[in-house]
Amino acid sequence: MKNAIKIIASLFLIVVFTTTVVKAEDWAVPNSSKKKQNPYEASTKNISSGKKIYNINCKSCHGDATMGNMLPLQPVAPSDLGSQAFLVQSDGEIYYKINKGRAAMPTFEKTLSDEAKWMVVTYLRSFDKNKKASKQVAEIKNPEVTDVKLVLDINQEDKKVAANLTGLTKKGDRVALQGIELSIKVKRSFGYLDVSGDDAFTDDKGNVEINFPADLPGDREGHVNLLVKVTDDAYYGELAVDRIATLGVPTDPVNPLDERAMWGTRANAPIWIIVSYAGGVIGIWGIIFLVLFQLIQLPKLAKNKE
Amino acid sequence: MKEEASNKSRRNFLKSFGVTVGAAGVVSSFSLLSAAKAAAKEPGETVNLLTADGQLVQVDKNQLRPTVNEPLDELQQRGREGIAGKSFVMVIDLSKCRNARKCMSACQNHHQLRADQHHINVLQMQDADHTAPYFMPKPCQHCDNPPCTKVCPVDATFKRQDGIVLIDNERCIGCRFCIAACPYSARIFQWTEPKDAEKYKDLTYNIEANVPQKKGTVSKCLFSADRLREDKLPSCVSACPNGVYYFGDRNEDAVTNGTSGETVRFSKLIEENAGYTLMEELGTKPRVYYLPPKNRAFEFNGDLLNEENLH
Repeated sequence: MKNAIKIIASLFLIVVFTTTVVKAEDWAVPNSSKKKQNPYEASTKNISSGKKIYNINCKSCHGDATMGNMLPLQPVAPSDLGSQAFLVQSDGEIYYKINKGRAAMPTFEKTLSDEAKWMVVTYLRSFDKNKKASKQVAEIKNPEVTDVKLVLDINQEDKKVAANLTGLTKKGDRVALQGIELSIKVKRSFGYLDVSGDDAFTDDKGNVEINFPADLPGDREGHVNLLVKVTDDAYYGELAVDRIATLGVPTDPVNPLDERAMWGTRANAPIWIIVSYAGGVIGIWGIIFLVLFQLIQLPKLAKNKE
Repeated sequence: MKEEASNKSRRNFLKSFGVTVGAAGVVSSFSLLSAAKAAAKEPGETVNLLTADGQLVQVDKNQLRPTVNEPLDELQQRGREGIAGKSFVMVIDLSKCRNARKCMSACQNHHQLRADQHHINVLQMQDADHTAPYFMPKPCQHCDNPPCTKVCPVDATFKRQDGIVLIDNERCIGCRFCIAACPYSARIFQWTEPKDAEKYKDLTYNIEANVPQKKGTVSKCLFSADRLREDKLPSCVSACPNGVYYFGDRNEDAVTNGTSGETVRFSKLIEENAGYTLMEELGTKPRVYYLPPKNRAFEFNGDLLNEENLH
């Protein structure tokens, strides 16, 4: 009996100690920061831009929110930022942690703007089951649709790209899908350049129109590889259209080897350097041979004189 | 009489032809038979191999052939020519570098360098007494007016059409004129037998990665030209955990960040952040651009021994 009490007591002590250790490792956030409120509303637009920023800056370590596919770093793996365990924190706490960073988590104080950080908080908050904002659901009035179609209309003269997003309702009507963000991208060597600007959301007719940048280089004929997709795959799955369009500025790549230059190899060295070098070599050897020739001639000359 | 003679010779020809063909047939069938016998004779000599789809199989040792490497002259030729229509540039954002040195180790892995040999090095900078210290990664600048290629006596180092300055270790005679000419100290010399020389001795020399390294020759950063051929970013660029590097094609006016994968306009990036190049007063026209260390993401007070500065 006494033994049992001892064991229970020691177990209790162990539990108490370990919890205090864990608490000591917790990330202390000053009270003033905890109370900070997110000044941005949880609109679809803000959540979507938050997701973009998240994908660029956070995803490489934390993985997709709620998916638990973070990098298995040692000793502490990054947490799933979409999990309920993480989202019990206040907006201010999350904001503080993004700002300051700790250990392997870098600071984003200088690398992200305040607005961008709040957008990320907004995006993460959209996974919160307890605080799920009704605003976001209310804002989208799109009916449930199948067979979503993305149609491109490219005006090559005015450099405008228009896209139209429609879906088929259960009744069989084709309706416009409103308030969906589209990404309009241009293929470059190592990635896609986003040219959609800040406001590429479909209007009540399902249309988005953007001005293609007037000074973006294309190939020799001005062709560019255009990719238009629904930014958030969560809505209608991966929906993308790609097209080759003559929207870029025709660019003739300059081959630096076309001109003769000092830095060139033998094949494209400047003419003057080839001429003067060859001239020097020929001249000097010529004089040497001339001298040798005359030396050989000397005995002959002597004989002739005799 | 004449006709008869010609007939005779034709007959002779046919006769000898038949004998030859017959003999050849017999010989070849014998050789086939013996070959088949030889193959059937030693089935015991097998080795275990793992296939690409993860199955362990037994293969007769007689049937093993060494993998065919790309021939040297082909690699040399395409290495000299470069990738048409491209003009590669790198942008290094000094405000984000915190001396993680992942670029250096990735580079050393790729190019078979020892830990003390650098194609890219992260330097600790302090420009003047009262200026703020910062970290600066420094690869080869791939100048558009390179002093190094001017001094090479054997055409070993050269510039290709996509702007990359390469060195051919098969031609290099180890005179080190280029090391002396380079104002950025971007080149190294292999004084001793390179790292893992024994391990890689059968590898065909790849001019676009300078591997295997050769003793007594010069080696330098090559923007990972072999990776660029596969549309991959250079090793250092993809290894950086802090988003320091942008890399791309100046002809397309776009550079891609190796960490976040974000693609931005090259001209805008340089213009908005006051990008500059190193020692432009020398007229070397570098292809590596730096963004000033303004608003640094990571503190560094110049004292590397202080633990707070080791990130």
